[in-house]
Amino acid sequence: MTGQTLNQGAGRSLRLRHPVAGTLAVAGYVIMIVPILFVVATAFTAGSTLRFPPEGLSLKWFGEAVAYSPFTEAVVSSLELAVLATALALVLGVPVTLAIHRGRIPGKGLLEGLFLSPLVVPELVVGLALYQQLMIGLHLDNFTTLLLGHTALLLPYAVRVTGASLALADPALEEAARGLGASPLRAFVTVTLPMLRPGLISAGLLGFVTSFNNVPLSLLLQTRDFRTLPVTMLDYVQQSYDPMVAAASTLVLAATVVVAVVAERTVGFAKIFGGINR
Amino acid sequence: MRARSTLLLLLPGLAFLLVGFLLPAVAMLFAPPGVTFAQVIERMGAMLTDPYDLGIIWRTVRIGLIVTALCVVLGFPIASLLARSQSRWAGVLLALAIFPLLLSNVVRTFGWLVVLGSNGVIGQLLTGLGIVEKAPQLLYTELAIVLGLVQLFLPLAVITCYSAVAQVDPGLDEAARGLGASRTRSFWTILVPLSLPGIVVAATLVFAGSVTAYTTPYLLGGSSQRMLSTQLFSYASVTVDWAAASATAIVMTVLVFLVSGISALVGRKGATS
Repeated sequence: MTGQTLNQGAGRSLRLRHPVAGTLAVAGYVIMIVPILFVVATAFTAGSTLRFPPEGLSLKWFGEAVAYSPFTEAVVSSLELAVLATALALVLGVPVTLAIHRGRIPGKGLLEGLFLSPLVVPELVVGLALYQQLMIGLHLDNFTTLLLGHTALLLPYAVRVTGASLALADPALEEAARGLGASPLRAFVTVTLPMLRPGLISAGLLGFVTSFNNVPLSLLLQTRDFRTLPVTMLDYVQQSYDPMVAAASTLVLAATVVVAVVAERTVGFAKIFGGINR
Repeated sequence: MRARSTLLLLLPGLAFLLVGFLLPAVAMLFAPPGVTFAQVIERMGAMLTDPYDLGIIWRTVRIGLIVTALCVVLGFPIASLLARSQSRWAGVLLALAIFPLLLSNVVRTFGWLVVLGSNGVIGQLLTGLGIVEKAPQLLYTELAIVLGLVQLFLPLAVITCYSAVAQVDPGLDEAARGLGASRTRSFWTILVPLSLPGIVVAATLVFAGSVTAYTTPYLLGGSSQRMLSTQLFSYASVTVDWAAASATAIVMTVLVFLVSGISALVGRKGATS
């Protein structure tokens, strides 16, 4: 879609066709983007307070952020959690998608609704429930609890986004493979899985980013041994007001740009987010 | 696919969903540790009559409504300009509007500390230009929370409205314009009514997000501008009052369900009429 508009209109400039609409649109972009730019600007300060304009240029806060062990440990923890939860959500979610789209069972709508339900309940409420019931009630350690919670949170993405890919795939192709003597597993690996590829990549990227950035669900599930990055940064900001978090934020921003470029190159940016809300 | 193999495909996912979400959520409502369900209900009753608690509920709803209105008013023009534009910049601008969705909420909200803080951009600008003598208190106000939440949820409003506008046939606007309608008139009589289902979805998502967000009210509202989410955290983690935490969780969940339900009804009515 974006690509099409891009080619059709090559060379023409963007006109803000209506002054009121144009002004509102500009205001919207300012609110969305400008605060992020100020974070980057203050990260390069040589001073020791969070002020703008920055007092001199330096990279010292980047050095501090990279050397600050609570941050580096939390990066490792968050990556570990995000990768495992995403993989688990896909491994559990794809069979569910297959059952919903290809199986002959009653109540498919209800079943899909059940798997999408983690999107409806406020994450903070789910976090409270997991903290109370699993960590305090059943004495599960916080990594297991976080992994369970994040996986359940990502299941809707896995089921819905891969489901959108599967809905486009023709079941006759799988039947043909079976008819030609392929085992169900072989038919799945050689025929269905390649058709699911764009959905798997989209769901994987969305899941990873959602888990890595999560605050509300993870908030109550922190311990000294295993803390996630966003919550660690949040606590740090609340305690001290120096530019180190600006530097850490700039590094997170840079990493996010890399993820965005990968997303754009593989499946297309707009497609990833187009499907999840409907 | 046979029923037995279908069931085998579903089972692992269902088991995880039950353990990682459904069972704990239900158990929390009915049996928090050492508290009975009756005590939770009693605490909720107290909450709905206490002026302090009611103030927090009302602030949460009020901020949610303001943020929703602002996101629609700012997001729909962006979506309609981008969806109708032939420019090559439209693709870039759409990507720029979607990109913040990938970026951590903590990073995005942190930007407002730099902008609104006592040594921040706005304060420095106002004092530097001699407009005011002392930088006004902008942080830890309702305004700060509203700005932070609009930044957070505007991308969601843009992308939801964008897919709604993209589905409206551009020929209809052209026909209206050809028949002599002004640009403004064709916008209000063609584009807005035909994109209304999408606008309702966008508004619902933004409202649900705003009344449950934690990072923004925590960083930008502080302890003087409590919302349901920050209050819930305080009950669960600081005072460890399980009855109050569960009661707050119920109020928050009911609020979200209520609004989602109403919007689903509105959407269905809009689709049939």
